[in-house]
Amino acid sequence: MDMAKKSQPKKSAPATKAKASDKKAAAPKATKTKESAEESAAIQQAKSSSSSKKGITTSSTAEYFSKNLQQVGFSSQVKAVLTTLKEAVDNSLDACEENGILPEVTVTVEKVGPGSLKNSDQVRIRVEDNGPGIDPEDVPKVFGEYLASSKFGRGRCSRGQQGIGISAATTWAQLTSAVGARVVTKTEKMRKAVRCIVEVDIKNNTGVLKEKDSVDWEKPHGTSVEFLIDGRIQLNGEAGLISYLNGTTLVNPHLTLHYKLPEMELHTVERVSNTVPEIPSAVEPHPHTMKLGEFIAHSHLFGRVKVGAWLKKGFSRVHEGTLKELNAAGIKNGIFEKLVDSLHESEFKELFMAIQNIPLMAPSTKSVLSIGEDAMAKSIKRLGAIDFFSVVSRKPTICDFKPVQIEVAVARLEDRSIEADAPVQVLRFANRVPLQFDKSACAIVHAIQSVNWRAYGLGQPKESLPQGPYIIAVSVVSPFIRFKNASKETIDGSDELVEEIRRALIQSGQRLSKHIRKEVKANELEEKLRHIEQFCPILVAGLARITKASDSRRKKAEDGIAKLLGRDARDTEKELKAAHDVLEEQTAKASQKNSKKAAEAEVEA
Amino acid sequence: MSKNLMSSSDEIPKLSKDLCNRLLQDLERAKRPVLYATKCSLDNAIYNHKVGFFTPGSKKVATELNVSSVKKMSRAIFMLEILLRNLDTGAVNTKRELYYISKGEIKHNPDLKPLDFADQDESDEIIDFICELLECYREELNCYANDRGGQTYSQQLVVTETLPDGDKAVVDLSKLGTSPFQPKNRPQNLKLSAKKKIDFCLIVESEGTANTLVANGFTKRHNSILMGAGGVPSNAVRGWCKLIQDQLRVPLYFYGDLDAYTMQNIFRTLKAGSASSLIRNEDFSAPEVRFLGVLPEDIKKYDLNDYPVKENDAQEVRALKKASDAMKNDPFFLDKKNKGLTQILKWLLEHKRRCEQQAYFTVDPRDPTMPEKIIVEKIKRGDYV
Repeated sequence: MDMAKKSQPKKSAPATKAKASDKKAAAPKATKTKESAEESAAIQQAKSSSSSKKGITTSSTAEYFSKNLQQVGFSSQVKAVLTTLKEAVDNSLDACEENGILPEVTVTVEKVGPGSLKNSDQVRIRVEDNGPGIDPEDVPKVFGEYLASSKFGRGRCSRGQQGIGISAATTWAQLTSAVGARVVTKTEKMRKAVRCIVEVDIKNNTGVLKEKDSVDWEKPHGTSVEFLIDGRIQLNGEAGLISYLNGTTLVNPHLTLHYKLPEMELHTVERVSNTVPEIPSAVEPHPHTMKLGEFIAHSHLFGRVKVGAWLKKGFSRVHEGTLKELNAAGIKNGIFEKLVDSLHESEFKELFMAIQNIPLMAPSTKSVLSIGEDAMAKSIKRLGAIDFFSVVSRKPTICDFKPVQIEVAVARLEDRSIEADAPVQVLRFANRVPLQFDKSACAIVHAIQSVNWRAYGLGQPKESLPQGPYIIAVSVVSPFIRFKNASKETIDGSDELVEEIRRALIQSGQRLSKHIRKEVKANELEEKLRHIEQFCPILVAGLARITKASDSRRKKAEDGIAKLLGRDARDTEKELKAAHDVLEEQTAKASQKNSKKAAEAEVEA
Repeated sequence: MSKNLMSSSDEIPKLSKDLCNRLLQDLERAKRPVLYATKCSLDNAIYNHKVGFFTPGSKKVATELNVSSVKKMSRAIFMLEILLRNLDTGAVNTKRELYYISKGEIKHNPDLKPLDFADQDESDEIIDFICELLECYREELNCYANDRGGQTYSQQLVVTETLPDGDKAVVDLSKLGTSPFQPKNRPQNLKLSAKKKIDFCLIVESEGTANTLVANGFTKRHNSILMGAGGVPSNAVRGWCKLIQDQLRVPLYFYGDLDAYTMQNIFRTLKAGSASSLIRNEDFSAPEVRFLGVLPEDIKKYDLNDYPVKENDAQEVRALKKASDAMKNDPFFLDKKNKGLTQILKWLLEHKRRCEQQAYFTVDPRDPTMPEKIIVEKIKRGDYV
């Protein structure tokens, strides 16, 4: 009987199919998201063309991901909970920003009962936002279809890119609880909200709606999504939910977040900025961010135009002056007059190489989305009681052919319960999404370790993270971030990127050191004053006893020593004042810079 | 200060009072007191073979009273008071005991709480600081360590000790059997005399080997003093050797291992003192002591078992490194008079081999007195450096 049961699935699944999917499962795990996406797209394409071939079968994208969920963040039960929450919150924030809405998100995570998997709990995760809502027709695509995305390949700094994450969460819920995502959504135009369950049709990579009905919802617009999954809830630590939520609030100053986690009261973090981040507008590509093939392909979009016009129109930061510089660098003027579709490959190459050697303005700030020093400064105070902090927002620059902007915040916590020699807390962000796993392999951590923090007054063992009650937050924003894996856990670091992060950290450390110096001086002064008070009478009394001196001599000596050491204390006071002035100067400069920036932004608007 | 060693019980309190008076006077005038202490390091060590030991140069370490040093200064005066009381009553203590005494004082007088020592290292540092200020030995402040080494055997030597209460204790070493006499605390308080003429004093690096020689009848056959140094000589051993040299005027010979560590850390300290004890070398070194062996040429002559310095023996490797430095900047080894010793050091550096004192036992394994015979023969022939 048992034998028959065991052999049943084998019979029902065609042998060839099993072989094909095994082959897919054996594919290298560490492929990048983009590659996985391309791979999946190729699979779909192959499905239609090669179905007639004997021995080779194809599977749907959904089938591929349902068998390889570990590649997209579901490799452990703890990660499953965090990834599900993360994908839902990312989608909410992206949707709000695209529509100019100040996001207000409510997160609920609770244990419902024992899970179906071994040693797991059944966990309910609900994320509700005040976003624009989803058109009922799009609901199955958003939650139930892989690679259905409004953001794929746009070259913008949005959190999500390919349209894999939330569908993967639905699949995980379906696999472990046999129920997909419960969605309630309402757009501004709708009178009633749509309530339904979305499931992934794994064989066909499409979303299927179940139990669809209309309900009243007091919200004018918004979406609520609920997953019932197997997993384990980890609240504390670097991989914990609290760390994720704290990080999310830090890099999203405009977010109001309500959250209710197990064994905790409902918690609200109010927004500190009322500006919705300006959605990076589509800019023409920057020549320094391209490879030769892309450069040639880009020309095909323009049809029969002159090369000069193509360069000026089709690229950002290329203008008349650039053409002159190209000319000086050896490109004949005749080339600019030629039609772009008549250009030979060798001419493209010559042009491309010349343009790479010409200094161009950095890519437009508009293509990367910065949080800004001012907003970060406000946001960092939401992490808890903080003694002092420093924030640095670097200018956008190019690393590995891609525009990138680094922002760093370093803060010292008032909480002294953390052991003094414990390493600092590191918060890593990629396009404003917290990264919480595989810290040691991340470019951000490498950059932090390469800085000599001792120079700024922090303790640091050799080639390690600095120590003490500090938070170091590093945000990397770029339309194209190179992740080490599809679950976007660590940033792959080129030397250029690590150096750029390092510079931001050094700047921030320098600013921080002024606070630390002032504090050291204040402590020194306090200790000196205490020394004078404590030791002067003891020293003089001891000397008087040994020399059998009279009371009048003793009195005189006491006055003398107080005078003498008082001078030392005054010197320290002066040093403290100097340290204080330096700090004031730095603060004044920073606020001046910020107000100047704000004025500029207003003028631009 | 060391010249006045015998009368230090009067000298130290006077010096201390003078120092305190000067400090108090400066403070009365609101003038910043500065205290000077001798710099005890090799760069301030002078060696002259006519003097025979390291003497301090002119370099001083200045300690100025300021907000940062007021704590150390207050602690020093506090500890000085305890030490002066000991000198007054004749009580003696170890450093650890002084640490607890200071704890007790603070317990009974809460005003002194800020002076409290967190551990013995802190109080030890203050005691050493006082010694540097007064340029005196710890022993002169009645603070003694439990000195090791110095087990001495002789059939001729008689030691007379004057006790603090004035009583005299006379020890005839020939009456002790195989038990050794061991000098403690301040050997300078002892008077030495010889019942019969003593020909020489032999200082053996290993106390065990010294004991073996005596058990086999060395002191019965030779009119001598035989002493086990017990590794790096303690203050007691160094002072004891100096006393034998000065009071009995007998030649002294050192017999130990042939290696860089013995040459620099044991023999050189015994003969000329050390850089860290510049102010006390006068009473704690015996410049007339000669290096009897093991000499490099003995290896060939007696076919002794030697072996290469182990790469992983940290102490030996360090000693060799120190030896090459010493050849360049140690005034003792740079002095022409000590050329013979420098040659040995050079040989050790070149050959990277070592030979132990016990190797003499290989010469005739069936004759237990063979090492004795070799030693006596070498002394007779003048086969030493």
